[in-house]
Amino acid sequence: MSEKDAPVELCLEVLRRLEKAGVLRGLVLIGSWCAYFYPDYFGGKTKLSALRTRDIDFLIPTPSKIKGELRVAELLADLGFISDRRGEGYVRLSHPELIIDFLVAERGRGTDKPYPVKALGIKAQPLRFVSFLSDDTVEVRSRGLILILPHPVNFGLQKLIVSGRRADRDKGAKDRLQAIEVLRAVIERGEGEEIRRKYRKLPAGWRKGILAGVRLADADDLKALLA
Amino acid sequence: MPANPVKGVLIEELANSERMLKGYRQALAALPKGSLVAKKIKGGIYYYEAYRVGGKVRFEYKGKLSEQQVAKLEEAAGQKVKYRGLIAELKEQIVFIRRALHERKRRAR
Repeated sequence: MSEKDAPVELCLEVLRRLEKAGVLRGLVLIGSWCAYFYPDYFGGKTKLSALRTRDIDFLIPTPSKIKGELRVAELLADLGFISDRRGEGYVRLSHPELIIDFLVAERGRGTDKPYPVKALGIKAQPLRFVSFLSDDTVEVRSRGLILILPHPVNFGLQKLIVSGRRADRDKGAKDRLQAIEVLRAVIERGEGEEIRRKYRKLPAGWRKGILAGVRLADADDLKALLA
Repeated sequence: MPANPVKGVLIEELANSERMLKGYRQALAALPKGSLVAKKIKGGIYYYEAYRVGGKVRFEYKGKLSEQQVAKLEEAAGQKVKYRGLIAELKEQIVFIRRALHERKRRAR
């Protein structure tokens, strides 16, 4: 993929600024942008689908380790980002080429109340199933940055779980496509056993969702691995 | 019909672009409407906000301003230029995505 790709350039600039402000290490990059950076984790040979939306999602593990009192909206204002306050009260930073969302894991029975993160000057959106993404993370060195991403196995399995819960079938199909690609890259790396090990530790409902996703994607290799 | 990940992305991005366009229009409206003009009168520098009303340019007197106030207004002027460019970009995106979605519908018929 060309580095002249405008959303990629903007994404890298945002990441550089977050790193310079000392907060990047306290954030886990999740969502479809992970597929852009995973090839660096897999050794650069793996090719993953470039199909992604503009959203770049940052998961803030709670309690947050980020110190200070940064105003992220101000940090990125000169790039043209505007704050988009959603009905529920959380804020996303929008730009025609990139939309930044800050998320936290919804705990227990859950609440849709926004979660204030004073250190970033934002209110994050609580979401279900994302805690699994920060349970096991990897450091990825890419374009002079050190990024924290979910372990690819966690990424793939979580995408399969949420794919079946989407109201929009097409969005579910995109999740499955990405999940299967990343999990196959893990298998190619000779770490298929890690997929099986993590899968077996999951609650029965999650395992059922994963298997349904694998079936819908006609991924017989993964079906056999998880059997 | 099988699920289509490309269509899913397009529909999501169309909604995003439409929402963003509204946001940028609001952000633009919240900025000072004109541009800052400095006039030197009897050795002092006085500022006016210049803006168009119909075909005429009007100058609204702002008086003497501190360096900080001038910097803030100049920054707002820069933001206005940026927002206008981004609004144009969003309009192009919306046209492109609508066409792409419409094209898919037409071909499916």
